[in-house]
Amino acid sequence: MNYRIGVDAGGTFTDFVALAEDHSLLVFKTPSDRDDPVSVLLDGLAGLARKAGLDFSDFINRCTVLVHGSTVALNTLIQRNGARTGLLVTAGHEDSLELRLGHKEDGHRWDFRYPPAEMIVPAQRRLGVRERIIAGGKVYVPLDEEQLDEQVEKLAAMEVEAVAISCLWSVANDTHERRILEKVRQRLPDCFVTAAVDILPRVGEYTRTSTTAANAYVGPVLDRYLASMENALAEQGFTGGLYIMQSNGGVAAPEVVRQRPVAVLNSGPAGGPVAALWYGRQLGCENVISIDMGGTSFDVSLVRNGLPDIVDQADIARIRIGLPMVNVTSIGAGGGSIARLNERRILEVGPESAEANPGPACYMRGGTQPTVTDALVTAGYFPDTGLLGGRMKIDRSLAEQVIRDKIAAPAGIDLHRAAHGIIEVAAKNMVDGIRIASIERGYDPRDYLLVAGGGAGPAFAAMLARELGIEKVLIPSTAGALCAMGEATANLRYDAIRACPTRLSELSVDVANSLFDVMEEEGRAALGVSADDRVRVERTAEMKYVDQIHYCDVQAPGGVMDASRLTQLRENFHRRHEELYTYSEPDNEPEIVSIRASVVIDTLVSNPTGDKKAITGKTIGAQSMREVIMPDTRELRATPVYNGRDMEAATTITGPAIIEEETTTIFIPTGDVIQYNPKGFYLLEVNTN
Amino acid sequence: MPGDIDPVTLSVVQGALQATQRAMTTTMEKTGRSSVYAIARDYSNALFDWDARMIIQGEDIPTHLGSMVLATKAVARFFAGEINPGDIYLHNDPTYDGSHLPDMCMYKPLFFEDELVFWVVSKGHMVDVGGPVPGSYNPDAKEIFAEGLRIPPIRLVDRGEMRHDVLNMILTNFRSRKYQSGDMNAQLGAITLGEQRLTALLERYGKAVIKGCVEQLLDAAETHMRARIRTLPDGVYHSRVVAEDTGHGRGHQTLEAEISVVEDELKITLASPPQLDFFTNSYRSNTLSGVYAGLLMWAQVQPPFNEGLYRPVDVDFGPKGTILNAEEPAPHVNCTGGPQETICDLIRTGLNGIDPTHAVAGWNHTWAFNIAGVRPDNGEPYLDLLISSLIGGAGAVNNVADGWHAIGAQAGLGGAQIGDTELVELLAPIIVTRLELSTDSGMPGQWRGGCGLITEIEPIDHEMTVIAWGEGAHQPPPSTGDTRYHPELSGPKVARGWHLRGAEILHEVDHNQVLTIKPGERYRSQTSGGGGAGNPFARPPEAVRDDVLNRKVSLKGAELEYGVKLYPETLEIDAAGSAALRKEKGR
Repeated sequence: MNYRIGVDAGGTFTDFVALAEDHSLLVFKTPSDRDDPVSVLLDGLAGLARKAGLDFSDFINRCTVLVHGSTVALNTLIQRNGARTGLLVTAGHEDSLELRLGHKEDGHRWDFRYPPAEMIVPAQRRLGVRERIIAGGKVYVPLDEEQLDEQVEKLAAMEVEAVAISCLWSVANDTHERRILEKVRQRLPDCFVTAAVDILPRVGEYTRTSTTAANAYVGPVLDRYLASMENALAEQGFTGGLYIMQSNGGVAAPEVVRQRPVAVLNSGPAGGPVAALWYGRQLGCENVISIDMGGTSFDVSLVRNGLPDIVDQADIARIRIGLPMVNVTSIGAGGGSIARLNERRILEVGPESAEANPGPACYMRGGTQPTVTDALVTAGYFPDTGLLGGRMKIDRSLAEQVIRDKIAAPAGIDLHRAAHGIIEVAAKNMVDGIRIASIERGYDPRDYLLVAGGGAGPAFAAMLARELGIEKVLIPSTAGALCAMGEATANLRYDAIRACPTRLSELSVDVANSLFDVMEEEGRAALGVSADDRVRVERTAEMKYVDQIHYCDVQAPGGVMDASRLTQLRENFHRRHEELYTYSEPDNEPEIVSIRASVVIDTLVSNPTGDKKAITGKTIGAQSMREVIMPDTRELRATPVYNGRDMEAATTITGPAIIEEETTTIFIPTGDVIQYNPKGFYLLEVNTN
Repeated sequence: MPGDIDPVTLSVVQGALQATQRAMTTTMEKTGRSSVYAIARDYSNALFDWDARMIIQGEDIPTHLGSMVLATKAVARFFAGEINPGDIYLHNDPTYDGSHLPDMCMYKPLFFEDELVFWVVSKGHMVDVGGPVPGSYNPDAKEIFAEGLRIPPIRLVDRGEMRHDVLNMILTNFRSRKYQSGDMNAQLGAITLGEQRLTALLERYGKAVIKGCVEQLLDAAETHMRARIRTLPDGVYHSRVVAEDTGHGRGHQTLEAEISVVEDELKITLASPPQLDFFTNSYRSNTLSGVYAGLLMWAQVQPPFNEGLYRPVDVDFGPKGTILNAEEPAPHVNCTGGPQETICDLIRTGLNGIDPTHAVAGWNHTWAFNIAGVRPDNGEPYLDLLISSLIGGAGAVNNVADGWHAIGAQAGLGGAQIGDTELVELLAPIIVTRLELSTDSGMPGQWRGGCGLITEIEPIDHEMTVIAWGEGAHQPPPSTGDTRYHPELSGPKVARGWHLRGAEILHEVDHNQVLTIKPGERYRSQTSGGGGAGNPFARPPEAVRDDVLNRKVSLKGAELEYGVKLYPETLEIDAAGSAALRKEKGR
């Protein structure tokens, strides 16, 4: 039997899954080590081999594909320990990167202690080049080659390892930027050099420059990591395909990623919706919302008609990144999120987190703040015997004590109300996060299947679904490794973008078709496939009304553009505007800003084989009973606890109940019904009345 | 019901109110037409209860803090007895507690089970509201009647029906009506969204629980502010600031506040000279915005804000007809910038003086320019506020942190955005020739003020009108403690404009003025930096060197203002030279 391997490196754990040809799954979790991720990778593969009952080399030989979701690039950006980078920009605009559009991030307006973002390229290495192109592409100041040489010499003297180049209006005329690129490559042949027009040809120099600078900053670091990983895998005899997860929810070969390392920055959470869709399709469902609850955050993503919701930009580690990426709404509501009574005696949960160290009080590592995990233990959702199948020991009395001291006593409420209150407030934050990812993006969550991942996500899932009016929740048996599952099941994907600023009524179909063709070719070349190979192309237009400033993403029709497809695009835009903002302006003219084409190759061709066991519907017995606080009555109730290992096809359980799996805990409220499916998941029917 | 609500339910309901307010704001930003809406984000959304008490205001623009509190009550009073479901009211006039004419505010009473439960309120700055000067910042106005269209509370939507004739009358009075029309749609979209979300909340929890929560949230905020005030020793304190002469020629005006602290209450009594026939007067609601902004900068409490915070604070605006309590016909349009910021300084420095431990220093005051003209390519008129021109340095926080570069002005506290240069060049036929942080503009201190910004533009093939407005050209914003700039370095520290032809300065602009810039000429504007905190000679020399390497402080600035000598060739610290200098000039 051959395997596809998914590896997801998280802050605390690195998750490994091996997806076999018959769609059976092996899961292994091992602690992450930022200093030596390659050893973690090899340890994890060895762990999977043991679970498969194979010796290591035999197992490696059976790994046909390995997809790696790496946090190396992200950690480089977070820790600000990337390459010594120089930035060449149009003279007079050297500070664009530091101005950050002249504003402070939302959420900190009145927080006078919130520090400015640390620059990835400080002013001393941001040098101006005398040249200027203006809107429309006309040369206003010719490129001063002599002055350019001086600036490049300064960068050489500063011993930069990477250089980013970003000129104003290079999207309209790239001759200056390309000439600068050529000269820098000549003079600094060992540097990682990257030009904005090759990374993000979209109007708006701040985002373009920032994305390009980040590309240069993480490029050399990621390159070294990929090389060491490739060597280590080769030494172990791995001959399968190695792919890297990208922020867009697709994978790419290492050589593609080496050119656009910035495209992998947010790849970690991007696996969630990919896995959620894979599971949803087992039920014929193409509309899913994935939630994944980790130690510090709760991540939400949405997939509509089989396509993940994509945003065109986001701030990552306080750096603006303008590439299309899976829209991940991240809320500070993880297991380690800290609960406190604020100055107005209102209970708050997160975003501060006890993280992995010291972690929740019940972890016995000296945590002194009550966390969501402590509340789950106190309220009976989590076993007090330990987590991860008993590998992680916990002490219930520490959880109770810290909640009593920090919340219950000062608020004048009893311990159980306090513990459940923490759960309710965390759930409120999660519901808010799901609303941001759905309602505020114009999608009604009631039309979606909720797929719950993470160690604690399935403990909350029923409560969230009920609040949002979602009737069905799918919970993978291996929910604790949702993102790794996404990596094992992701497709190859490449996003191309072109500026195309024009009123829709003035858009020539020939121009549109040639731009889409060029982008598709770019994608095919990047993915290494010929014109004959079958690919899927997803098209997006970034559109707004004439005179609006911000645009929204609109799905563009496939095929050769013609008058009727333009009409369809126009209607798509009006509808999208109304979905997002409650109204549209049908009498006003839409305008295109940029267009994008995502070239996708479906790599998972086989369909799920389905269960091989006969459907028994057999009733199984609870392994124990536990006192759990019910969300509806807020009262303790003796609740049967089942072991996931005992499940058989179509086993059905009516709540209240708890099911314990190795990587997760599922809570079923009173009256709700859950059924086990041997394809490796549970389906929970939620009473939303 | 009140009193029965525990901290959990309160948290859930407050979260829902907060999410509603935030979603309204997102709608305004993403759908707005003018750069004032979509980039500068000069708008505020707030929710009010059945008694027109403000129950949530997010972190939108601080310059609307107090004016919304008073205006919603004024509008509710005006329509008392004839408030119907489906109505939306509109108003901008400061004599009904509006902030200034360009701020158009919409008010929607929300009924649930036949009872008025909420007011959904949305206010935004229109890029033009008529009057003789594009952008409606008219430095020559002697009366409010010459500043733009005055709109007392009116019924814009009557029981669900838009009054198109009224809307058309309003838009007919505005230049570039396509922007205002789009911006008003954005505002209506925000209000619809707020109404939908609040109705869902009422359905989910029931009216009684929600009303109980509102009472308790107001009370909790009040208790919070009382606790902050109680940290101040009882006493009567005095504060005084200078409102600079920005073009009226009557000299600087002194504004005064008496702040009396009695246990957990503040009584603030303002005193100011008689109102001027110049557009820097402040009607009382704008004055209240300045007072609340100063109060909150001192208190450093975090949003969401509600009216409970203000209950322990009593404000006496001084006699009617004075600068801080202006009355008809005082012109006023400039009031939400410099005057509001000056009032904020008046209150903040007064409170900081009582306890300066973590005092926030002043930010740059609004000094900016609008541009207008006719596009040479298609003959269409354009009108835009160059937002980068008002972005300056933030104040340092004493014993905590340096000020941020380029996120002011104080009226916005970091909420405005500049917009990409490429975007600005699409919106208007200009070339932005420079956009950079201004060296030596931050006020010195152990904690340095943030740097201001230089914006320089050139019209493409046409004559461009520049309307320079605001203040800060005569003196930098006040800073805490004993930090003072060196006179030789005053140039970068003040806001100013220049009309340039090549290297030649045709004219220096230091007050509100309208100019014409011809093809080949340029207009350059600089904002001031933020205030510093603490003795600059106590700033670690390494931090000063870092500022020099990164163009925030010049070699000369390092020496004169910080007492740090660097070797000019290597830019390494001359330790002995620095020590001697600090000893010689030491304080």
